[in-house]
Amino acid sequence: MTRRSAAVSFEDVMATTEFRPAPAAHITVDGDACRGCTTRACVTACPARLFVPIADGGILFNYEQCFECGGCYLVCNEKGAISWSYPEGGAGVVYRRG
Amino acid sequence: MRPLVAVCWKAVELRAGVDPLTGEIRPDPRSLGVSPADEAALEWALRAAEGTGAAVRVVSAGGPEADGVLRQAAAAGAAELVRVAIEPGSPSCEVARALAPHVAGAGLVWCGDVSLDRGSGAVPAFLAAELGVAQALGLLEVDLGAGAGGFSGLRRLDGGRRERLRVEGPAVASCEGGTARLRRASLHLMLEARRAPVRIEAAPPPRRPAPHVVGRAPFRPRARVVPPPPGEHAADRVRALIGAEAPAGRARVVTLGPEEAAEAILEALAAWGELP
Amino acid sequence: MAERFDAVVVGAGPAGSMAALQLARAGRSVCLLERGPFPGSKNLYGGVVYARVLDGILPRWAEEAPLERFVTRRVTMVLTATQSLAVDFRSSAWGEAPYNGATALRPEFDAWLAAQAEAEGAVLVCSTTATGLLVDASGAVVGVRTDRPGGEIGAGVVVACDGVNALLAKEAGLAEAPDPSHYTLGVKQVLRLPEAEIERRFGLAPGEGADFEILGGTGEVPGGGFLYTNRDTLSVGVVLSLDGLSRSAVRPEEVLAGLTAHPAIAPLVDGGEVVEFGAHLIPEAGLEMMPRLAGDGILVAGDAAGMCLAAGIWLEGVNFAMASGSAAGEAAAEALVAGDTTRRGLAGYEARLSSGFVLADHRRLRHAPGLVLSERVQRRYPEMVCNLVEELFTVRNPAPKPGVVQMARRAARRSGVGLGDLLRDGWRAWRTFG
Ligand SMILES: Cc1cc2nc3c(=O)[nH]c(=O)nc-3n(C[C@H](O)[C@H](O)[C@H](O)COP(=O)(O)OP(=O)(O)OC[C@H]3O[C@@H](n4cnc5c(N)ncnc54)[C@H](O)[C@@H]3O)c2cc1C
Repeated sequence: MTRRSAAVSFEDVMATTEFRPAPAAHITVDGDACRGCTTRACVTACPARLFVPIADGGILFNYEQCFECGGCYLVCNEKGAISWSYPEGGAGVVYRRG
Repeated sequence: MRPLVAVCWKAVELRAGVDPLTGEIRPDPRSLGVSPADEAALEWALRAAEGTGAAVRVVSAGGPEADGVLRQAAAAGAAELVRVAIEPGSPSCEVARALAPHVAGAGLVWCGDVSLDRGSGAVPAFLAAELGVAQALGLLEVDLGAGAGGFSGLRRLDGGRRERLRVEGPAVASCEGGTARLRRASLHLMLEARRAPVRIEAAPPPRRPAPHVVGRAPFRPRARVVPPPPGEHAADRVRALIGAEAPAGRARVVTLGPEEAAEAILEALAAWGELP
Repeated sequence: MAERFDAVVVGAGPAGSMAALQLARAGRSVCLLERGPFPGSKNLYGGVVYARVLDGILPRWAEEAPLERFVTRRVTMVLTATQSLAVDFRSSAWGEAPYNGATALRPEFDAWLAAQAEAEGAVLVCSTTATGLLVDASGAVVGVRTDRPGGEIGAGVVVACDGVNALLAKEAGLAEAPDPSHYTLGVKQVLRLPEAEIERRFGLAPGEGADFEILGGTGEVPGGGFLYTNRDTLSVGVVLSLDGLSRSAVRPEEVLAGLTAHPAIAPLVDGGEVVEFGAHLIPEAGLEMMPRLAGDGILVAGDAAGMCLAAGIWLEGVNFAMASGSAAGEAAAEALVAGDTTRRGLAGYEARLSSGFVLADHRRLRHAPGLVLSERVQRRYPEMVCNLVEELFTVRNPAPKPGVVQMARRAARRSGVGLGDLLRDGWRAWRTFG
């Protein structure tokens, strides 16, 4: 039999899904708003682990492996800290078995 | 007649599924597209054509599945689409022979440097030979200048060297994907391209029996050369290499019970400096 | 404005393709916009499609649609950390026409449905995102803007089928600012297993499929799970309260790992090779979150209108999307013929939904989401029922068996459930589901 699903690293699991990177980010994060945020809901809720807290209190994020679900801007309680739209048509996640 | 700039595209699977157990490729026609290098080639052709008023013709050697991919070129602005029906897996020299008559007469023929499906990048070179024109292969940088039909470019040579070229006459150029990003098709051309005709041409019969792969060895990285270790006899050098270097007299044969044996091993390791 | 169609449908999901199909069938010119490289490429769900809504529209769907397996086994499961209780229902009738549900992969199913719309004459344009609405001086919607050069498209009616984030309905002022408690997050892995192994493991004949709906099993985050058999893959996932998730310190993939490691689930998914991972939101709140369905020049259908039915034991959205999209397409075509695409002219849409299952089901089940995600239903009742069954079947010889009533009382007490709670929730459940 092949590998057990539990033994596969998160990075390997993410690598099973296809992403076609867009030329520009479709998520922007307002670092100042994040520094005042205590809940950091985006960090736990994002299913692709795109949001990472950094030492200066801000949030580092990556948009290339985004599932485009929209969970981050919904859970964000610092009004307007996350602006979110869809990536350029044709770019972003491509499901084969969704 | 309107001047012509030609582009050669290869439709490939952008993301092939591979069975981890059997190594078998799982084809998925929805992932068919062209490499960033092929896209860059079209972009350079479109820019060159803008400067000279030329028409851009995109030619692909492949099966019917390539037609949809060719229409993406039409959406970006290519005026003519040609597909040369060819056996899949044909060798590079035959692909070049099939393409040649349909790009002959073009001022410049643009290609991607290598195709995504582990291509060798040999098609552009064969094509230049078929056409009897100059070649400028593996371009890292392209500058169309004033756009009188030529260009200058920087290309990669072996051993990390670079070469700057100035190309004037008819030539085959192949470029890397990073040289240009294909423009975004306008909505109008997207709608038009859905009905863009693809001219289908037959490939010429193979000239000579194609080279025939009889076996293929797995990929092996090249051996790294390291300076030979000191030592008079081969056995000493091998020992030094594998780290089994032991000062004479280290070896000791003892017969002990399990507990004392363990003790002795720990003692010896500590004495040799292997344990803190 | 260079491009013009009678109607523009945004989104080639099940709602959009059906809207475009109906418009094209009625002889209208229609552009179907999809932001993914092909229809379905952005769409992830559980997986079971209930396609009877297509009977009258695409009568050969059962033979022609790319379906994986017809569901003949439906297991409803309650999980606690260490226990599981399942109702395992099988019906061979579901394996024959007229069929019930079938597992399907959305990138295949949605592409097929969009192709049906194209076959009727709809113009499908992929890799193109609608970025906003074109509005005239009176405020009526007269087309969309896209992210392509020269990308404006004029239209008599815009049908917004752009899915759960509903950006167009919000822009049109039809939907309120979103409330995160109205959404759940679905996170899913697809695992590859040989076809025959799936049939052996789940006790299925070739072509037959199993559908596991799981209540609980998501640790401290309120939610549930699912497990579906495709031809040679399994879809396994969790559906999590977005609120609960952001309050907890647990990550979605950890909850999913917890589910796949549960003793009742692990043997079913063992050895599967992960071939895809993804996530998607579910509009969970039904009527509670439904926007106004029509404005001047615009209709909203499918998930964009919150029409997904997510009520614990049910997770249906594709059928609601197909039915609402179809109704929107018919109503838009009618309005175009009558030359009145104002809100009033488009009223045929809501009338159609009211006389069919879409709004009837949502009205009936309007309180279900709150009930299903409540603390008692999520945690205490599963525990109570599992404890009761454990008591029933644990043999404590030489001690004699206690009476069943006594056992039930003990199980309720152990789970912190009072008689009052039971009566109250029982009444709510009766009103909701009865
Ligand atoms: C985890 C999970 C499990 C589910 N399980 C089931 C199940 O088993 N059975 C069931 O019936 N339902 C299920 N559902 C619900 C179901 O997936 C949805 O209800 C259904 O997909 C809604 O269809 P739709 O056409 O309204 O929206 P979608 O399917 O979301 O389609 C919207 C389309 O619009 C496109 N789009 C969005 N914005 C734009 C734009 N601006 N421009 C161009 N295109 C755009 C998107 O790319 C997409 O193709 C599940 C959902 C989830 C998340």
